[in-house]
Amino acid sequence: MPAVAVRPLAAIRKWIGRWGLIVALLALPVYYGIRDLVHGYSSGFVNGHAVINHDLTQLGFNLVSGVSNGSIWALIAMGYTLVYGIIELINFAHGDVFMIGSFVAVGIYASFGLTATTGAFGLIGGLLVTLIVSMLVCGSLNVLIERVAYRPLRGAPKLAPLITAVGFSFILQNVGLLWKGGSPVGVPDLINQNKTVFKISGVIIHRADVLAIAVTVPLVFALTWFIGRTRAGRAMRATAQDPEAARLMGINVNSTISLTFLLGGMLAGAAGLVYALYETNVWYFQGFEAGLIAFTAAVMGGIGNVRGAVLGGIIIGCIQQLSDSRLGPQWTPAVVFGYLILVMVLRPRGLLGEETREAG
Amino acid sequence: MRTLGKALTACVLVGTVIGIVACGSSSKSSSSASSGSSGSSSSSSGNTVDIYSSLPLQGASTAQTVPMVNGIKLALQQAGNKAGQWTVKYTSLDDSTAAAGKWDPGQTAADARKAASDTKAVYYVGEFNSGASEVSIPILNEAGLPQVSPANTYVGLTTNEPGSAPGEPQKYYPTGTRTYLRIVPRDSIQAASDLLAMKQAGCTKVAVANDKEAYGQGLAALIELEKANYGVNVVSNTGIDPTAPNFRSYADTVKGQGADCFFFAGIVSNGAVQITKDVHAALPTAKVFGGDGVCTDSYTSAKKGGVTASLYPLIQCTVATQKLTAYPGGKDFLAAYSKAYHTSSPDPYAIYGYEVMKLGLDTVAKLGAQGNSKSAVLKALFATTNRQSVLGTYGFDKNGDTTLKSYGLYKVDSSGEPVFFKTITPTKVL
Repeated sequence: MPAVAVRPLAAIRKWIGRWGLIVALLALPVYYGIRDLVHGYSSGFVNGHAVINHDLTQLGFNLVSGVSNGSIWALIAMGYTLVYGIIELINFAHGDVFMIGSFVAVGIYASFGLTATTGAFGLIGGLLVTLIVSMLVCGSLNVLIERVAYRPLRGAPKLAPLITAVGFSFILQNVGLLWKGGSPVGVPDLINQNKTVFKISGVIIHRADVLAIAVTVPLVFALTWFIGRTRAGRAMRATAQDPEAARLMGINVNSTISLTFLLGGMLAGAAGLVYALYETNVWYFQGFEAGLIAFTAAVMGGIGNVRGAVLGGIIIGCIQQLSDSRLGPQWTPAVVFGYLILVMVLRPRGLLGEETREAG
Repeated sequence: MRTLGKALTACVLVGTVIGIVACGSSSKSSSSASSGSSGSSSSSSGNTVDIYSSLPLQGASTAQTVPMVNGIKLALQQAGNKAGQWTVKYTSLDDSTAAAGKWDPGQTAADARKAASDTKAVYYVGEFNSGASEVSIPILNEAGLPQVSPANTYVGLTTNEPGSAPGEPQKYYPTGTRTYLRIVPRDSIQAASDLLAMKQAGCTKVAVANDKEAYGQGLAALIELEKANYGVNVVSNTGIDPTAPNFRSYADTVKGQGADCFFFAGIVSNGAVQITKDVHAALPTAKVFGGDGVCTDSYTSAKKGGVTASLYPLIQCTVATQKLTAYPGGKDFLAAYSKAYHTSSPDPYAIYGYEVMKLGLDTVAKLGAQGNSKSAVLKALFATTNRQSVLGTYGFDKNGDTTLKSYGLYKVDSSGEPVFFKTITPTKVL
């Protein structure tokens, strides 16, 4: 009798283990897709009467916004995951490096005199230079933080660098506070972010969406190529797997770790510029929330796994948009972290699996 | 060499941090000096009375509060730092923090405690934000110190009228005696004025967003409660997260509701600029309305971090201030203010700062030898009737509310500055 009773339970567990996560991730979009098709949604009013549509356009719009918003989280999440992968440290200051990136970017394009009326070539050229400078500044800042606050604690208990990371997070927040004050600061909408670029089956793609994806995708490919194909990238992977063995093989572990921080910081700098253009406001506290979301994305995707961080960022972006649009923004943090718990319960090593020493 | 490199890096970093902190602290001390004690103590401390103001002097509200402090100082200067036989020592306190960028409960309580513990204090000007007054009124009430706000409009601070929360206003007055007054008409009048303005602008469906603070939530609730009186259809009243980086989803929802007007009930620091930009992007022709919390250039002017210029023709907002030159003594005030602060168009709140200080000085002066008595000053303030002032003729009712009943409707000019459009005196008020 017990054997018979256990068998269906084991089958259910097995099914949940295999499909549970996919079902959970698809639950929201599928539910709202069906609801839109069956009950319809109001897309506006004509002559005082609501126009009710029965299609998937609104869902498509939510998902496009989610992907573009998630691209920013992905850029930041990659920085978290790179650092965790190589030294197993949650770099709490990373979100604040991203905030400094936004401030630097806004300062640079303001000093270039870029405005919404600047011509296309001037604007693209100016923003490219801004992107490069912002990436370099944030990369250097991250290297400096590693050099001063983490490297001296390499052999210390794990709690020590965690505390210095928190300390640096506060220092950078205070720098931001002194720089721009305590309130969100509006920045010029240089790219006219709400302008329609094109439509796919009624789903409008705005300039902000194109910008976020156009910056993120090349950087993700470049980083993946760098880690997978270059000598320095191989050194990073070797150091992540076993620093001692890497050192014995002649790899300069300290330089490799510095390089990792440089790359993470550069991605945060790029995210900083995209965020400023996307949101058209910057705030000294923006790094806290963004850092929390991006770290969640990194954990959801599988900490240490670059592709996982990107996937996690995009999934969280989509969950946020669906929740903001359908449930109300007040529920979004609870929904996002509810999903994180679900992913952790169903797949403790994240969606694509951890790539850390502990994970093997 | 390696040790030297480490030391150099550490020195550079520590130097940078210290430099930044030093810059920050120097600017902080200079700002507190400039807004600090403006009156001079009497050589004989026995003839001195102390007056405090507590206003947010950091963040977006400074566009309103700095002119207000200037108005306070101007009144004091014109009186020669005297109120009758008493020499006045004025201290400007800041109820905001740099980190919050707006009023802070802890800082507000600290300000109130400072004034409450001063035995020579007879008059307290504040707060600017209704939520802050919810914190300071009970502290000052325990101390029996008269408090006059030049800006609060939330109904629950003085009455239990519709729009107030259960237990209000008694919970703010632990001694059972009223110690709080205000010289601006409360939100039941402002909400009616806003509804009248929206009706006249042709709004058929209004989406309301509030910042969930006492003022914003209260004003939004009153808009809903009074909408039937003016035939305005409110399609939604949403409490927003003021720290959200954007409000695009909210804007899409509002678009789906078919709104042709948008009303923001809250203060500039609480996401006002971003939500207005996002709603404008979704509904480019929708008219935008706001209360006195946003009727300032830090919201209306793109150059000062406010909304985009394409919104200027669409914005209307209300402030209790009317056309300054139309007030009795308004022209003189403007001339004196312009001479002292080199601006020909002060923020509408400057005159409220000026009047709140004049009210305090006049009240203390009239009391003669009793001018240093908190209870005498309090009694005299509540007894004020038919006061001829730069705001017009007014007095206070038993709740401490002004008898003034009008709001000024402002539009935005091409430079992004709010400019007086007309006076609204609603006839149907809850």
